[in-house]
Amino acid sequence: MNETRTLAETSSQNVSLHQDIRVQRVLADVLTYALLLIGSIAMVGPFIWMLSTSLKLPADQFSRTLIPNTATLENFQTLWAMLPINYLLINSFKIALITTIGQIITCGMAAFVFAVVRFRFRETLFFVLLATLMVPSQVTIVPNFILFRALGLYGTQAPLWLPAFWGGAFGTFLLRQFFRTIPLDLAEAARVDGASLWQIFLRIYLPLARPALAALAIFIFLQSWNNLLTPLIYLPADLEQTTLPVGLALLQAQFPGRWTIQMAGALVSIAPIILVFFFAQRQFIEGIALSGVKR
Amino acid sequence: MKKLLLACVVLLLLSTGISLAQDTPVEITYMMWGSPEELAVWQVIVDDFEAANPNIQVNVDVSDWDSYWSRLQTLFAGGTPPDVFAMDAPLYRDWQSRGVLLNLQPYLDANPTALDGVYPSTLEAYQLEDGIYGLPRDFQTIVLFYNKDLFDAAGLDYPNEDWTMDDLRAAAAELTVDVDGDGVTDQWGLYADLYDMELFWSSVIWSYGGEILNEDYTQTLLAEGPARDAWYFINSMAVEDRSMPDPTQVTQYGDPFAAGVAAMTTIGHWVIPEYADLPFGWDVAPMPSGPEGRATSVNSAGFVVAANTPNADAAWQFIQYAISSTGQTRLTELGFAIPVLQSVAESPVFLEQQTAPINHQVFLDALEYAHVKPSFRGYEEWAAVVGDGLLPVWNGEISIDEALDSIVPAANDVLAANQ
Amino acid sequence: METGLKPIGREQWWVFLLLAPTLFGLLFGVFGSVFATLGISFFSWDLLTPPQWAGLENYLSLLSDPAFGKSLANTTLFSLTYVPGVIVVSLFVALLLNRRIRGVSIFRLIYFLPVISSAVAVGLVWSWIYARDQGILNVLLRGVGLQPVNWLSSQMALFSVVIVNVWGAIGEGMIVFLAGLQAIPRDYYEAAQVDGATAWQEFWKITLPMITPSIFFQAIISTINAFQAFEYIYILTRTTGGGSSVPTVVFTIYRTGFNYFRMGEACAQAVVLTVIIVVLTIIYFQMQRRWVVYE
Repeated sequence: MNETRTLAETSSQNVSLHQDIRVQRVLADVLTYALLLIGSIAMVGPFIWMLSTSLKLPADQFSRTLIPNTATLENFQTLWAMLPINYLLINSFKIALITTIGQIITCGMAAFVFAVVRFRFRETLFFVLLATLMVPSQVTIVPNFILFRALGLYGTQAPLWLPAFWGGAFGTFLLRQFFRTIPLDLAEAARVDGASLWQIFLRIYLPLARPALAALAIFIFLQSWNNLLTPLIYLPADLEQTTLPVGLALLQAQFPGRWTIQMAGALVSIAPIILVFFFAQRQFIEGIALSGVKR
Repeated sequence: MKKLLLACVVLLLLSTGISLAQDTPVEITYMMWGSPEELAVWQVIVDDFEAANPNIQVNVDVSDWDSYWSRLQTLFAGGTPPDVFAMDAPLYRDWQSRGVLLNLQPYLDANPTALDGVYPSTLEAYQLEDGIYGLPRDFQTIVLFYNKDLFDAAGLDYPNEDWTMDDLRAAAAELTVDVDGDGVTDQWGLYADLYDMELFWSSVIWSYGGEILNEDYTQTLLAEGPARDAWYFINSMAVEDRSMPDPTQVTQYGDPFAAGVAAMTTIGHWVIPEYADLPFGWDVAPMPSGPEGRATSVNSAGFVVAANTPNADAAWQFIQYAISSTGQTRLTELGFAIPVLQSVAESPVFLEQQTAPINHQVFLDALEYAHVKPSFRGYEEWAAVVGDGLLPVWNGEISIDEALDSIVPAANDVLAANQ
Repeated sequence: METGLKPIGREQWWVFLLLAPTLFGLLFGVFGSVFATLGISFFSWDLLTPPQWAGLENYLSLLSDPAFGKSLANTTLFSLTYVPGVIVVSLFVALLLNRRIRGVSIFRLIYFLPVISSAVAVGLVWSWIYARDQGILNVLLRGVGLQPVNWLSSQMALFSVVIVNVWGAIGEGMIVFLAGLQAIPRDYYEAAQVDGATAWQEFWKITLPMITPSIFFQAIISTINAFQAFEYIYILTRTTGGGSSVPTVVFTIYRTGFNYFRMGEACAQAVVLTVIIVVLTIIYFQMQRRWVVYE
């Protein structure tokens, strides 16, 4: 009897406790949503404002309405007339693509060796490679500049993508971690069948590492697409050679106060990436999640 | 009729060119800063020149002011400089001191009449002890531009040659208003660039009897005696009256005068083609006079030749053409610049140009009281130290005295490092 | 024990070939550059005239150069506000998203948008948002009766740039922290609930200690990023003469090297920056021993 009473008491206590918790839960959820929404406005707001301004008539640029009084594509026409945007887009794309390919190939090759092949000084060499992550990119700016100048490559696009073919600690580290999750048995079996190291790399490791490669590729592509400092140094003003970020920075300097056009330019440089982003979010987020280290 | 005339001229030029045509053809690059409109102007001059010299092809390469210098420096650093390029006189000595410019004295010795009729004050900046490494292409004096519509709306008299700095301040204060009544000023009396000395503050300092640098460019004097009073005057307009937009306000409009939100501005003749299309009436007046008289700044753009160009002769021919009466007339017709040839400047080509029906004589008269903008090694860095150092003053963050006291030693350091 | 395939015969060549780009990069790209930078820092060189031996002059002049001191102070202040800013805000967002609510993926997408967007384009938008009188931020402030702020004035600009940098990095930090949060075993919380712990206590006693590795990781990355931040500074604080109202060390290196072409001095600045980064990294790893909890 005593026991049942206690049980009943406990269960009724539990019910009210559960209700309490449920109310708290709902309240907490509402609060969470509210906070996330406020945050979202701060996150998306600037993009919306950019879009809105880019569609306004230049005369309306100081109107504070979100929806343009008269929506127009005039700014984009002006933009295309002021800057060789097509060149800039193609250049940025080309450089980012070559950079990505270069990094994927060279980092992939090194990562494969570090992950799969056993040789003397492997760990030492890998440690040295990792240590270079600590060297800030500013240290390499001046010597690289002098080197490319001596090679007669100054004023060309080569300095922007050539270093991508030198491998790199970050990409190598990333891919090595992934390659190590692939069972070594596969490689050993292939070797018994007479496959060379190169074939094992190409036929087994690369296909299996596709998700990691995609993430790394996106990360590298973005980095190149958005880079300002390097093209600013090597191609500061040659509009037919240089990249979109440099073009935009020039736009800012050359056409101050023409916000509708500047916003149109900003939109043009962001839109392609956002479009791709919506189709490949997962890889994007993975790419960045791995990221950080090298910026 | 005009076309026929042109055809005759072209034919004539072509026939004179034939004798030269036997020379091996050379290609030279002429690099300059400027707007796309200026490129069009120069393309015409180059076409004329090429017609007269069929063996020389000139590629004109134009970029905006900021990228021009970084490009030029990097082209030199990369070992592929242009043959001929435009030089801003204040930066001339800096470039010359690095040994990258060609001494043009031998060419002048061979052509003793080449500089006849060129304003001597424009040549001054280029003459060095061991020769002349550049020649003036055109020059600019700074005058006061005003928006007639805004003066009319305020019921004020237009600026005239009797104006003093105090008149400028008073009118500017009156023209500074909050037009739409939202509590924020949206029209200012005066917009003047306060970063570089050329457009405003050097003129004020000189008109107060101050100096900017000592004779041998080792001391920055812009905080001494009368110069400091000049700064107090500028401070009274920019900070006390707020009748000049501060730098962060300026960036919103680009050029506040052209945007119609500043009633006056101080600038040179190069803006005239652009201002010709402005939707309001405007004209020019001399710089107002200060306690020690009237002053303004004269600065020239010049031609220089890369020291190691293989085409020095062709480069010289091009320069000679550009400062000849034909070249200068063409340059003048297109409206940007004031020609360095006195005969062209004082002719109707300059004084009655069609781009804008304003008083062009004001720009020439300014030569009488103009000071040559200083030129010394390290100019750019010195100017950045001063300009950046003053920014917090115009933003109302520190006092002008505080700024000047920290700027002068830093600016002197730059001078010392460039001796 | 080392694992991996042992190369046989000709395969050794493959190993060498696969590693060749990386070895080249290590030798020339990194070590070569570091030594070259060190070497050039003892010369005075404008690239136009032959380099001249300067001894320690470049370093000594840095000591007495108020501009370099100012840029060091700016970089320090930037890091001291940016690093905690990113960690606190992105941890907060990650905590919100870690509650099992609907729509997490959409929010994740939204918070991620700035990360993938070109910094130059975003910088342009912010310079428009921050505009003195017509900028939407001050319009909103005035709208609710507050004093407008001169966001990009000399004194405020550093703070405004930090806001944009934090805003742009939330998405990245959020991903790192979400991964950390999701790795915390559920039963820790269940045990705490049985003991009657409040949510606040749970956070301090369980969540925070458990994600110290993520915080450590994020702190290092943010610090490195802070020391190398360039794009937003360039776009938001550039002055007429090509300077910056808030010059940071990287900006100063760029300006000294590629505006004034004083390569020796730029290299000396890069060396100082590297030393600072290395020292900071060592300090971080020392701190890691004391603070970071590993299971």
